[in-house]
Amino acid sequence: MTTTRLVFDAAAVVALLFAAVMVLHRHPAKSVLSLVVSFFALATCYVLLTAPFIAAIQVIVYAGAILVLFLFVIMLLNVQQEEHRGDPHPIQRVLSGAALLLFGAMLFGLLRSHGGAGLPSDSSPIPDPDDLAAIARLLFSDYLLPFEALSVLLLAALVGAFVLARREKAS
Amino acid sequence: MISGIPLSDVLLVSGGLFVIGLAGALLRRNAITIFLSIELMMNGANLALLGYGAALHSLEGQIVVFFVIAIAAAEASVGLAIFVALFRHTETIDVNEIHLLKW
Repeated sequence: MTTTRLVFDAAAVVALLFAAVMVLHRHPAKSVLSLVVSFFALATCYVLLTAPFIAAIQVIVYAGAILVLFLFVIMLLNVQQEEHRGDPHPIQRVLSGAALLLFGAMLFGLLRSHGGAGLPSDSSPIPDPDDLAAIARLLFSDYLLPFEALSVLLLAALVGAFVLARREKAS
Repeated sequence: MISGIPLSDVLLVSGGLFVIGLAGALLRRNAITIFLSIELMMNGANLALLGYGAALHSLEGQIVVFFVIAIAAAEASVGLAIFVALFRHTETIDVNEIHLLKW
């Protein structure tokens, strides 16, 4: 077992652990904060998977911008923790638990039977992980149209969010 | 095998994150926590994409993850705006209380 694998597994365990804390915690603000820890651990995993650019994006955009936006809305709405209600729809709960078990069993069965076998043999050169220019070249040549479409999408989301959250004038 | 990390490890973690996110989306009743669980599921998918991209010596996995993160940002802003508008109307974001479009 190499050191890289050891570090990867440790970061992965931290990510999974805090993801579980996120799901189980009843207070939304604490859920967001544990998801931040989980995303930082995932960024460590991304670095070890030779994707430092995506790791930086993960920390800056995901943990830095998106989750702070969540935290901001939680503070704005002053969401308290979910109250324990006597009627939690037992059928709903049983069905979702069963769906989850089935899905998990299918997923892990698939991974066990496949496990990365059947990949083509590595003949292509390994891309240099520190070479940001290679990503930029790919982004601005083969993926130029999706990239520009993405900018339009972001603009549409900006305008949509503004229209949705605007307070209606009392006429 | 990616610089000492077997691909099965990456896939197992990715599947684990996805299942935890699915559990959160199905079991929690707070709209914001459901939204967070969906973000977690996206991160599980991202991890699988990066794992395969590294195993295949390709940069395209990173490009796809870049697009996923940008779309997640757009989705989060619109979704949270909907929650703010909804909270103004109904004073709650508990999904059991919001059943206007539900049978």
